[in-house]
Amino acid sequence: MPHTTLTLGGMAGQGLVTISDLLLKLLARAGYHLLATQDYMSRVRGGHNFIQIGIDADRIFAPQPIINILVALDSRSIDEHRHELTAGSIVLHDSDNKPPDINGVRFAGVPMNRFANKAGNPVYANAVALGAIAALLEIGMKGVDSLLNEHFGKKGEAAVEKNVAAAHAGYDHIAKYYAETTSSLPPVKQKTRMLINGAQAIGLGMMTGGLRFISAYPMSPSTSIFNYVTASAAELGILSEQAEDEIAAVNMALGASAAGVRTAVTTSGGGLDLMAEGISLAGVAETPIVIANIMRPGPATGLPTRTGQEDLNLVLNIGHGEFPRFVFAPGTAEEAFYTAIHAMNLADKYQAPVFLLGDQQLVDSYVTLDRLNITKVRIKEHLADPAKVPAPYQRYRITPNGVSPRLPYGTPGVRVMYDSHLHEEDGHITENADIVRAMVEKRFRKLKGMVKETGKPIWYGNKKPAITLACWGTSYGASREAVDALNRAGIKAGMAHFNRLAPFPSREARVLLANKKHVHTVEGNFTGQLAQLLARETGIHSGMPVTRYDGRPITARHIIDKLKEVHGNGKFKRISL
Amino acid sequence: MGNSNAFHYEGEKAWCPGCGDFAILNAVEKALIHAGKKPEEVLTVSGIGQAAKLPHYLKSNGFNGLHGRALPPAFGAKAANHHLTVIVTSGDGDMYGEGGNHFIHAIRRNIEMTVIVHDNQVYGLTKGQASPTSDKGMKTKLQPEGVILTPFNPLAVAIALDAPFVARSFSKEIDFTADLIEQAMRYGGFALIDVLQPCVSFNKVNTYQWYQQRAYRLGPEHDPTDRAKALAKAFEWDSGIPLGVIYKNPRPGYVATVIGDTEPLLKRKVNTEKINSLLARLY
Repeated sequence: MPHTTLTLGGMAGQGLVTISDLLLKLLARAGYHLLATQDYMSRVRGGHNFIQIGIDADRIFAPQPIINILVALDSRSIDEHRHELTAGSIVLHDSDNKPPDINGVRFAGVPMNRFANKAGNPVYANAVALGAIAALLEIGMKGVDSLLNEHFGKKGEAAVEKNVAAAHAGYDHIAKYYAETTSSLPPVKQKTRMLINGAQAIGLGMMTGGLRFISAYPMSPSTSIFNYVTASAAELGILSEQAEDEIAAVNMALGASAAGVRTAVTTSGGGLDLMAEGISLAGVAETPIVIANIMRPGPATGLPTRTGQEDLNLVLNIGHGEFPRFVFAPGTAEEAFYTAIHAMNLADKYQAPVFLLGDQQLVDSYVTLDRLNITKVRIKEHLADPAKVPAPYQRYRITPNGVSPRLPYGTPGVRVMYDSHLHEEDGHITENADIVRAMVEKRFRKLKGMVKETGKPIWYGNKKPAITLACWGTSYGASREAVDALNRAGIKAGMAHFNRLAPFPSREARVLLANKKHVHTVEGNFTGQLAQLLARETGIHSGMPVTRYDGRPITARHIIDKLKEVHGNGKFKRISL
Repeated sequence: MGNSNAFHYEGEKAWCPGCGDFAILNAVEKALIHAGKKPEEVLTVSGIGQAAKLPHYLKSNGFNGLHGRALPPAFGAKAANHHLTVIVTSGDGDMYGEGGNHFIHAIRRNIEMTVIVHDNQVYGLTKGQASPTSDKGMKTKLQPEGVILTPFNPLAVAIALDAPFVARSFSKEIDFTADLIEQAMRYGGFALIDVLQPCVSFNKVNTYQWYQQRAYRLGPEHDPTDRAKALAKAFEWDSGIPLGVIYKNPRPGYVATVIGDTEPLLKRKVNTEKINSLLARLY
C-alpha cells in the first residue's frame, strides 16, 4: 500500500499518547516518513480522542480523510470513524467487545484487556495493542522489543518483561488468527529519521537563536512550546518564568529585553489579546521580543484544543498606535525551526516585535525529517559596542536606517532609558512636534531593511498553472498535496506559500500571482484573511477563498471539494487522492 | 547636594509645586548616594502616573513602561542582569489598582528589588478620582456621594502574603525615608515601602497636616518579625499611623534561589553542543 493511514482512537486517559509515541519512534527508526495529527477534546478523562498517523515512503504534508487501519481502544472509536472506513480497511479492536458489521471492513480482534491483565496490569493493554499493530503492519517484533526496553527500562526489569510479554501476546494473536488481515508497508531504506513536532521545532529554533528568557501563562495549544523550552532551560542557561497572567508575561519579557537578553513569550489568541498593550510598548520603546501565537479557532474561548488560522488580522494590527513589526507563519515544523531562529535574530536586529504564528496542527503534529542543520546558524550580536557609540549615549538616536545603537543596562558610564511615551533621542518624555515627527519617521525607516529580510513567498508546482493556490502557515501542507493531485490528474496547478506576512512581500507576491488565472487562497478561517491582505497590499483580487473553520485541519480533499464548488465538477473528475 | 550628586537631574520636573513626589525623589537620591551606588548600576522602573515620572528625573537607567505594569519589567530586568539594583517607583493607582495582580504575585515571587509606592490616596495624573487607598467618604467627580468602597490596605495584604520587608513612611520625612530605602535595597528580597504623600492639588482630606497629626515613628519596642503584631500595626490608621519597618520576614530571594552565583543571563552564550544533544534526542 503506497500510503497508509492508521488511526488510534480511544478515551482521554486510555494511553493513546503512549502507544502513539512508541509506534512513531518505531516507524521513524525503520525509515518511514510519518505525519501524526492529534484530535483532542478539551478534557482530561473520557470523551473521544484520536491520533491519525500517515505512513509513507515519501514525505507527508497533510492528513488524509480516510482510514486504512483503525485501532479502536473502545467501541465508540468505531462508531466515530465509521464514515472514514472503506472497503479493505482493517479495524483492530478488543475481541471481548463485539464490533458492528460494516460492509467490506475487516475486523481483527485481540483480547487486549484480558492479555494485559494476564501480564499483570490493565495498563499493559497499550503494549498488547502495539504488538498487534506491529503484526498488522508486518514489521516484526525486533524493533518493538528494543523500544520497550528503552522506554520502560527506567521502571525496572519487571516492567520491561511484562510489557514485552504483553506486546508478544498481541503480536502472536494477530499472526496466528489474522495472517490474511495485514497491510504491508511500502519498502523503505532502513534509515533512522528525526521525529519532531512543531512545538519542539519552534522551541529549538528559539533556543538556537539565542533565547535567554521566556515567560508565559499556560494556554492551549501554545503551552507545549513553553513546556519543551522549560524542560531544557536550566541546561541551556535560559530562565523560564510562569507569569501570573499574559500581561505580566509580555512585560517581564520586555524588561529582560531592555536589560539586553533575547526574549520570547508563547500564547494563544485570548492571551495575545491581553498582551496587546505590551506589544504596543515593545513598538514604541523599540524593545526586541518574539511572540509565538499558536492559534485555536473561534473568538473568546473558542475551541481550545483544535486548530484554525483566524489570528492573521489580529497579529497584523495588534497594539494601538503605529509601529513596524514582523509576522511569520511557517508552513511546516522544519520551516518553523529555521523561522524561529530568524525571528530571534530579527527582533534584535530591528528592535521590534516579531510574531511567529502557528496553530494547534503545527505544534501538536509529529513529522519525520532527515535532519535540522545548525552548522550554518550564526548568532549575530546586535547590541552595540559601547566604545563605538557616540557620547552622550542616546537610546533612541536618530539614524539613517532607523535602528539606534542599543546598549544594555549596566554599561559603564552610560544611562539607558526605555520609555513608553513619545520621547526624545535620550528616552526623555517629550511633546515637541518636531521630535515626535522625527521619531515616528525613524521607526518606520526600519521597514526598508525589514522588507528585504527572509521569508519571501515560495512557489511550488506548475509554472503556468490553470489553478493557483495561495497559502500561509499550515495550509501549506494540504495545498501542496492538492497541487500534486491536480497536476497528476492533468490539471495544471501551482501555489505560492507565504511565510512572511509583515512587512508584506508585495513585489514578490505580484511577480508570482498578478498574471495568474483562478487564484484561491487556502485558509483555516471564514473570512479569507490572506485574500484581504493580498488585495490590500498588491491590488490582486483572488477568487473565492478555500476556507475551513470547523477546528479541523485542512486536507487536500477538502481543497479539491471546494474548488469543485467554484469551478464545477467537470475537469476534476479524474482526480485521485 | 550640588555636583556630588551624580543622580541629580537638572531639567524641569512636571509635578505640582509642593507635591510630595519631590521629597521622595530627594530621598531616593540620598539613599543611592549613601549606599555608594553608581548611576549605571541602578535601574528605576515605573508604570504610569505622577509617581511613575520619577525615572525620568533621576540620572540613571530607567524603564518607564505601562500603567500598572511596573513590577513585571522590573522582574525581567533583574532576572536578566541580577547585578543591577532595581527600584520600582509607583503610585497607589498604578500599583494597587491597575497593577494589583502583579503586586500579589511579585511578593510571592520575591525577587530582590525595592518597591516605593507614592501613596497619596487619590489619582493625580487623571485629576482627582478615587484610588484604591482613598478613605471612605472622600468626594470626587466620579464619587460625588463619597467613596463607598473599602480602602485597600497594602501593608496588611503584603504581610498576609508573607512579604519579606514591609515598611511605611511619610514623604515629608526625607532622611527617614532615605534610610528605609537603603535598608530595603540591602535587604535581599521584595521590599515594599508605602510612602504616604499629600496630593496638594486633588486630595483635600489627607493633607500634610492630616498626616502630620497622625504619623508616628515605631519605637524599638516594635518587633517587626512578629507577624501578628505587624498585622495589628498595619491596621492602625485614624488614631495614629505607624512609620518604619512594620514587618520583616528574612528569606532567600528569587535571585538567590533560582539564579544563584552564576553569571547573569546577559553574559551567557548559546551552547551549540547542548543544542546538538537536544536534536540527537529526537531520533
